[in-house]
Amino acid sequence: MRVLRMNKRHLPEFLEASKQFGELWGPVKKGEVYVYEHIQDISEMSLQPQRTLLPLKKLIYPPKIKMFQYEGEKYQDTQEEVPRRVVYGVPSCDIHGLLIMDEIFLRQYRDPYYAIRRERTAILGASFCTCYPKSCLCQSMGTDFIKEGFDLYFTDLGNYYLVWVGSSLGDDLIRLKPEIFNDNISRKDLSEFVTRKSSYTQEPCNIIDMAIIPDLVELSSEHPVWEEMGEKCLECGACTMVCPTCNCYNVFDEPYLNTETGKRERYWDSCTFNGYSVVAGGHNFRESRAERLRLWYWHKLNSFGPQERPACVGCGRCVDTCPVDINVLTVSKRLLGDKTKQALSTKAKKP
Amino acid sequence: MEKKKVGIFSFSGCSGEQLMILDCEAQLLDIFSDLEIKTFPMAQSNNRYSELDIALLEGSITTQHQKEELQEIRKASKVLIAMGTCACFGGVQSMLLGKGGWKDRFMKVYENNEGLYREMAAFESQPCSAFVKVDHLIPGCPMDKDQFLHTLSHVLHNTKPHLYPFPVCTECKWKENDCLLNRGLPCLGPLTRGGCGAICPSHNLPCVGCWGPAETPNTTSEFKLLLEKGYSREEIIRKFRNFGGAVIADRLRKILDKIK
Repeated sequence: MRVLRMNKRHLPEFLEASKQFGELWGPVKKGEVYVYEHIQDISEMSLQPQRTLLPLKKLIYPPKIKMFQYEGEKYQDTQEEVPRRVVYGVPSCDIHGLLIMDEIFLRQYRDPYYAIRRERTAILGASFCTCYPKSCLCQSMGTDFIKEGFDLYFTDLGNYYLVWVGSSLGDDLIRLKPEIFNDNISRKDLSEFVTRKSSYTQEPCNIIDMAIIPDLVELSSEHPVWEEMGEKCLECGACTMVCPTCNCYNVFDEPYLNTETGKRERYWDSCTFNGYSVVAGGHNFRESRAERLRLWYWHKLNSFGPQERPACVGCGRCVDTCPVDINVLTVSKRLLGDKTKQALSTKAKKP
Repeated sequence: MEKKKVGIFSFSGCSGEQLMILDCEAQLLDIFSDLEIKTFPMAQSNNRYSELDIALLEGSITTQHQKEELQEIRKASKVLIAMGTCACFGGVQSMLLGKGGWKDRFMKVYENNEGLYREMAAFESQPCSAFVKVDHLIPGCPMDKDQFLHTLSHVLHNTKPHLYPFPVCTECKWKENDCLLNRGLPCLGPLTRGGCGAICPSHNLPCVGCWGPAETPNTTSEFKLLLEKGYSREEIIRKFRNFGGAVIADRLRKILDKIK
C-alpha cells in the first residue's frame, strides 16, 4: 500500500480540493454529539476523527430510501439521484463496521441500493481512536486499526499525517493536490508511527475477553441475563439504529390514491421490535424481549454473516445510547462475571 | 373505475384531522376528483350519506347521540378508519378515564346544569373502538398528512396500510438526537407510536405521548426509569395518562401494584 506524508496545515486545503469529486461530508457538533453533515465551509467541521451518533452507514445505507417509483407497468429506478460524496474523519471502528456490511450487501446477494452508495462514497478514515474511553471497546474487538475498506487513511503523528492510500480512487484524490503530499517516508516517520501506536494502545479502553465471550454466549442461552435485560428493554430500537453493523430493513409500497402510480420505500427495521419476527398467519417466533435480545447479542458477540464472526466493532455506541444500560459491555460483564467465578471455584477445588 | 363513496365525520375533538385533510394542498384536487365525498363538515354543506365505502372519523365519543351516530356509520360503511389520537385512543379528554368524579367535573364546567346533563346524555370520553369495530387507525395529534394519504391509498387499492410499527425513539435516532431520557428528561418516546418524525425531541422537548400508546411498549421499565430519575409516581402517572386514554389506563392498572 502506498504511504505518503502530509503536513497537517494542508488538510483543509486538501479537503477543499476533494469537493471536485463530490459533496464533502464530515463530523459536525450537534449539542453534545457529533453527526456527519454536508460541509459547505471547512471551519464547520471537526478535523479530528469523531464518533458520530449514527455511524457511516447513515450515508451508505440510509435510514429510509425510495427504491423506485412506478406508473402502471412502467418502472423507474431512482438510484441515479444518489450523489457522489467524500466523507472525512471516519474512525477505524466504523470502517470495520462497513466491511461487515459489505459481506452482507455485496457478496452473495448484491444489493444495488447499498452498492451504488458505497461506490459513490470516498471514505477518508482518520486515526487514532478518539472514541469515548468510557464506552469504547475497540481494542477488545481488534478494530482500533484498519488495513482496508477506505480510500485514504490519515494517521495523526503530531504536526503531520501519514496518509495510506487504500484504493485507486484514493490515488485519484491525492492527484488533485499532488504538491502537498510527499512520498519520501523516512525511518524516523515509521518509528514515530510505531511509538504512537504502542503508546496509544496503552490508553484505557474497555477490555472484554473476546477469547471467551463468543463461546460463553453460545453456552448461555438459558442464562438469566436475557430475562433480566428483557424486563428492562424499552423496545425503542435505538441500539440497532446506532450500531454500525445492524442492517435489517422493512419494505413497503406507497400507492398514490386511486391511481396506478406509486413508489416503493424501505427503512431500517430492528430485531428488538415485537413485530420483527411475526410471520404470515400471525405467529411470532420471538415473542419475548428476552428472546429478541439474545438474538441480537448472539449476532454481536458470537457469530454473524457469512464469515460467522462477532459483528460488534467495539464503537461503544450502544453503551452511550441505551437509557436502561443494556449494551455489549453490561451483557458481557454479566456473562463473564458468573463464568469466571465458576471457573475459579472449579480450579480451586482441584488438588 | 367507479368512485368510492367516502364520508368524513367529526365527534368530540378539535377538528384537527379535517384540517389536516384540507392541508393536503398538493393532493386536494386528486382527493376530491378520485373520491365521491359525501360528508365533510369543515369543507362542504349538504352533508348526507346512505351507503359508504369508507368512513373517516375524528374525535372521541362523549354522548349517547354520538354513540348512536357512530353505530349507524359503522352499519353503513365497508371500511371504518379512526383518524387522530381522540378517535383512536380517546385523546386528552380521556386522561382521567375510570378515575371517578367525572359527573362532578361535568357539573363544574357546565355550572350544575342538570337539564343539559340529561339532554346530552353525556359520558366520559371513549375512543371509537369502545363501541364499534375500527378497521384502521391513523394516530396523531393531529395525524400526519403522509400517513393519512398512505392509509387512504391502501384502502382504495384493497391492500393493507403499513404505518410505522415502532415507537417515537426510532425516528428520533434517524434524526440523530441525543436521547433525552439519558439527560434525565421525562421523555415518553419509548411508549409512544412513531410516525410524527420525532418533532419534539428534535427540538429538545421530551415526547408527551400525543400519538397515543405504542402497541407493545415496556410501560413498567419506563415507569421505573422515571422513578430512578427522580420523578414522583403521581407525576409519572399524570404524564402517561395525558394522551394514553383507555389503553394506558388499563396498562397502569395491571402494573402499578408491582412497581415500588
